[in-house]
Amino acid sequence: MTARDHVQAAAALPAEPGEAAPVRLLAIRVRTEPDEVAAFLRETGGLGTGDFVPLTFPFRWLTLPAIRGLILQLSGGEGFLPVHEAQSFAYERSLRTDDDYLLDVAFQTAEKPPRLILKMAVSTVQGEICAHLETVLRIVRLTPETPS
Amino acid sequence: MTEAGKGTLLPDWPKVGDEIGARNFGPFEPAALIRYAAVSGDDNPLHLDPAAAKAAGLAGLPVHGMLMLSCFEPVIMGWRRDLFITRLSAKFLRPVLAGEGIRVLGRVLRSQGDAKPELILRLTARGAGDAIVILAEAAVQYKNATVPS
Repeated sequence: MTARDHVQAAAALPAEPGEAAPVRLLAIRVRTEPDEVAAFLRETGGLGTGDFVPLTFPFRWLTLPAIRGLILQLSGGEGFLPVHEAQSFAYERSLRTDDDYLLDVAFQTAEKPPRLILKMAVSTVQGEICAHLETVLRIVRLTPETPS
Repeated sequence: MTEAGKGTLLPDWPKVGDEIGARNFGPFEPAALIRYAAVSGDDNPLHLDPAAAKAAGLAGLPVHGMLMLSCFEPVIMGWRRDLFITRLSAKFLRPVLAGEGIRVLGRVLRSQGDAKPELILRLTARGAGDAIVILAEAAVQYKNATVPS
């Protein structure tokens, strides 16, 4: 399924009353590859290489091409950069290594100041919710470098 | 909400005000940011390209907020390994620049010890000059009584 397919699949979702409809990507399949989990553990605070998925590991799925592309597009494209302002994780069950999961991601823009808010649900392929993530990105306009 | 110790099932359940031992992380050198970018996929040029950092008004490369937030889980697990973190919420208040480190510490804000043992923890990461750079709150539960894996 491509990013366009995901967006089209979401097109029929209703908006919340009084709000612009968020853009959604649905049913993105991901996997907790053991070598990727181990590499992540090595670089993030010394929890060792135990057989578990660290709490913040799902954040890396926001960098998948389908999701990253929308983040960059909704951030304003060239000349703007998203800056991480806040992050939350809420777990209903642990993730296991070497297992498949599905992601649903909603993207909501806000103004004054410009922000992009992502809400991601991680579920098993059987549809059981494992975790919810919320990411708040402040959109920063880059200033051209002045000659020194 | 009931304090642990009053008819508690877990005699050693932490109490309000108990401190979570501080732990230092870093300094995060530019090479560490490159490695984190590789394992996390977060290769935002802000963290890797001095020109992008400068254009964003920063004096140096900012350390990924998520790299620093990832340090909170080992601090909690190093304190007590019988806990499952059910929630972690954080605000990134100030940038930490490459070459600097952080000190993560916390304390118990609320404690419930009866039927469903749960703690609410206030956690902070402090950077240069002891300034708070990340302000966070976590909810943790007794691992053997709660969330299935």
